[in-house]
Amino acid sequence: MGKEIIAMLLAGGQGSRLYALTQKLAKPAVPFGGKYRIIDFPLSNCINSGIDTVGILTQYQPLVLNEYIGNGQPWDLDRLYGGVHVLPPYQQASGSDWYKGTANAIYQNISFIDRYDPEYVIILSGDQICKQDYSDFLRFHKEKGAEFSVAVMEVPWDEASRFGLMVTDENDKISEFQEKPKNPKSNLASMGIYIFNWDILRKYLIEDEADPESENDFGNNIIPNLLRDERKMYAYHFSGYWKDVGTISSLWEANMEVLDPEHSGIDLFDEEWKIYSRNSGMTGHKISAKAVVENCLITDGCRIDGNVKHSILYAGVKVEEGAVIEDAVIMGGSIIKKGAVVKHCIIAEDAVIGENAVVGAMPEGDEKGVATVGPGIYVGDNAIIGPNGMINENVKDGEERW
Amino acid sequence: MVKANRSAMALIFPNIYDGLVPELTSERLMASIPFGGRYRMIDFILSSMVNSGIDNVSILVRENYFSLIDHLGSGREWDLARKNGGLTIFPPFAQNTISISNGRVEGIESILGFIKNQKEKYVVISDTNIAYNIDFAKIIDEHIKNGADVTVLYSKTDIPQAAKDAIDTSKGLYYTFDLNDDSTINKISINSKDDGVQNLSMNIYVIERELLIEKIQDAYVNGGKYFERDILIPHLDELKIVAREYDGYIARVYDMVSYFNENMKLLDDENLDALFGKNPVYTKIRDDNPTRYIAGAKSANTLVADGCIIEGEVENSILFRGVKVGKGAIVKNCILMQDTVIEAGAKVDHVITDKKVTISAEKEVKGTDTFPVYISKRTTI
Repeated sequence: MGKEIIAMLLAGGQGSRLYALTQKLAKPAVPFGGKYRIIDFPLSNCINSGIDTVGILTQYQPLVLNEYIGNGQPWDLDRLYGGVHVLPPYQQASGSDWYKGTANAIYQNISFIDRYDPEYVIILSGDQICKQDYSDFLRFHKEKGAEFSVAVMEVPWDEASRFGLMVTDENDKISEFQEKPKNPKSNLASMGIYIFNWDILRKYLIEDEADPESENDFGNNIIPNLLRDERKMYAYHFSGYWKDVGTISSLWEANMEVLDPEHSGIDLFDEEWKIYSRNSGMTGHKISAKAVVENCLITDGCRIDGNVKHSILYAGVKVEEGAVIEDAVIMGGSIIKKGAVVKHCIIAEDAVIGENAVVGAMPEGDEKGVATVGPGIYVGDNAIIGPNGMINENVKDGEERW
Repeated sequence: MVKANRSAMALIFPNIYDGLVPELTSERLMASIPFGGRYRMIDFILSSMVNSGIDNVSILVRENYFSLIDHLGSGREWDLARKNGGLTIFPPFAQNTISISNGRVEGIESILGFIKNQKEKYVVISDTNIAYNIDFAKIIDEHIKNGADVTVLYSKTDIPQAAKDAIDTSKGLYYTFDLNDDSTINKISINSKDDGVQNLSMNIYVIERELLIEKIQDAYVNGGKYFERDILIPHLDELKIVAREYDGYIARVYDMVSYFNENMKLLDDENLDALFGKNPVYTKIRDDNPTRYIAGAKSANTLVADGCIIEGEVENSILFRGVKVGKGAIVKNCILMQDTVIEAGAKVDHVITDKKVTISAEKEVKGTDTFPVYISKRTTI
């Protein structure tokens, strides 16, 4: 029996604007919100929306991601028929190709999708923080009798020219697509989440592949081709929390927003829409009598002896006595040693910040940089990392990096 | 399937000692008592076994075992969802010759057919009232090296007063050993009242499977019930029964006060590391989010699991998963089990709340260190 809908999750993005964080890690595998990775959001959305078949298209640095996904059990996606499958590019009789673009990645996996004989395919992006009910999106798609639907967000008009925009009529039917236009005719930004009727998508993928001029991209090629042929295309309005965490500052900001669910709108405490993840299996976190914690998220396995204010500590972080942490994102297994001052920054996994070292600084005037220390990096005692520091190799004792 | 020489299966008795903490076991058994912030007693036993390469574990439940079955599921979280071996739960087999008693002999006899069909050479037997992190591979290697028929683990400690005071000791509540120079057992005392440090049995045994089958059959035919009284004691001369001191960290639960104290001891980093440091302890995953400390929260000397929301003050306490402490609430010297809610302005001191307890706003509950107040599951005060 065929599936009604299956999901294809584009997780090949390099995330080059996350610099030190994505040297050895695909962007969807970047840790987020204390105990999650970015990909937990689309995967949890799938299972919470009743989608039990997900193909994950990987290409760049897939090792961590592959191990993390495993058999899909943490997301309840270990299924006899369906479930989660990691789909790297592979060699075929006709030769082998890297995924040339988003559309080509799906094209190369047409036979995977055909195995499930779905009516609909939802294309998801592996680099967004968003809680979304795809079943409501599918209901919309069916009600409109659409062949293609795209999830859109209203953005402020003065920012609209940074996005791919959908121009629609009063029935949400799309008449025009503008990619980062100078003069926007709409403020409905594409979220890069699409539902296609599979027969239509299949046809356009094959046509697109045959075009040597094509960039094999959904936004640049497939959607314009659908418009050209006046296909039934609709825009589905989404108004919840949505964040593309493609840059250091947006990743930092999104983490800070997790600390303030009442105002920011990203609520990880929602029993009705749980975000699942592979758990660390560590014991509870320990806060000593000397420690001060204020307005934080703290995950299993942390040991806190210092002062932590308005920060997120991921699993197994150690904060030694006298260390001061503020507005910081400290990823799993990192150690902040005695007297270190860590502010307004991102410390990646398994880093060590030496005694009395200083990393980052609270914003002053126009200086709003988010200092970043890469995974496994050792920052020596008394070292200083400036607010724009991007550290991906060890820093010696007493050294300064700005 | 060929396995290594020291391959072992395990038998776990989750109900033994239920009677010592009647409050905590009114709706569960010893094995599923919450312990250490996010665990159940059985997690320590299963994790030790799995980390030692034992992947064939049988649990002989007697009564009140719904919570345990719910907790264990297929055993996946302990890596015990296996095609060969894995986790097997044996409910009491309705047979008029078997009473719902504590006797290990009867229990093992009831699954003897199963045990005969297993391939492992050794059997490890354990109760669940002691949280430990034991390397059984090492214990079994020593068992082989010693040429022992039975190895039993003990710890050097005073006999807990609560055990001495227990009213019904007719079933053989605890055992102490007099040892020969070669660590074999000279004498096993049942329910000794002796003062001072004793060799107190941990009721953890290693025995060859074939020998176990033989001895259980013999004892059962002769009306024997208890492994220690009816198998070990009569065979002290004939079998080589080696007592092996275990001097690693253990947390023994034998009454409410010891339950309280053993939890509280984990607030000391040294103890926490000793119990958890070596090998991971696995438990059921709840997919909680990280714990949130809202502005105004204060926390000092606490062990807190994921999923809590803390707005008030918490001191010297252990919080299990999903606990909420409201604004202005003060929690001191408490053990708050899963999903406890302490509403705004409430004050609790020396209190153990069971799962899903609610302390309403502005209410005060206070116990003492020798008598912590226990509030049973789903109570609202």
